[in-house]
Amino acid sequence: MISVPEWVRNVFENYLICEFTTVANNKPVTFPLLYFYDANSGKFTVTSSILFSKKILHMKKNPKVSLLFSNPAGSGIGKQAVLVQGMAHCDDSDLDHGWERFLPQWRKKEPYIDAFLAEREKFGWFWKRIVVQVEPKRIIGWKDGDVTSKPEVFA
Amino acid sequence: MALQVDFTRLAQFKYAIINVLGNDGYPYSVPTEFQIDKSQRILLKRPVSPISIVGKRAGVLFNHIAAIPTGGYTDRRYMLIWGSLVEDDGMLELRPKAMSEWDEKILPFPELCAKAAPQGQRYLEGLHSQVEA
Repeated sequence: MISVPEWVRNVFENYLICEFTTVANNKPVTFPLLYFYDANSGKFTVTSSILFSKKILHMKKNPKVSLLFSNPAGSGIGKQAVLVQGMAHCDDSDLDHGWERFLPQWRKKEPYIDAFLAEREKFGWFWKRIVVQVEPKRIIGWKDGDVTSKPEVFA
Repeated sequence: MALQVDFTRLAQFKYAIINVLGNDGYPYSVPTEFQIDKSQRILLKRPVSPISIVGKRAGVLFNHIAAIPTGGYTDRRYMLIWGSLVEDDGMLELRPKAMSEWDEKILPFPELCAKAAPQGQRYLEGLHSQVEA
């Protein structure tokens, strides 16, 4: 587990979304994603519906990914910029239930998610979800989001 | 056919995120400020970066969410523009070649899900073919 200072941990524990990048044909592909952070292991989890599963196909071919934390909206803390580079492991062995263990964290970030869950039949394929766990290999942080200064690197 | 970028909508984003591949094969991302000049060129403020990003094939993400006071977020929209990054008078010019975008006010989420059904179908078919093999 990579040791990081408190301001970086605060970002991981409070930001709502990250900008998640996979690699396809030697090209970066980046989309905003909800994420979950496990402070005990230092690992990150994202889940993906099969509807939006191109990123999963990318990761199955190339597990090198990154998560950028740059958007403090809704977090209650200030602007920072932290990049996590790591290896992704995709688990699609239980599309219907494998992701459900993350629901408590999901509800904290999106309290209205239960309204979508109540319509699980209507949004059936949205709720078929692949679980992606990311083990960080390097963390780069620009304190206060100041990218005009040299970043701190944690590995 | 030239890539059509809606610069009016692009200008509404607050910042850009430059994404490139590092020499170690990992994606590298860094946020930065941007502006659109009179010639509709996308100019990015050059960030201090431990890796070289000039001249690289990049994907630049412009992303927005708005916090909901009771928790969560709304007003989701993004534009992801791929292109090359060219140094220009201390700035980086993004020369667009391809793009992907979504704005939930233009394409509501249920409609986005419906549009993505073929991708879901292909994923399931891929899993079934693995089982059958």
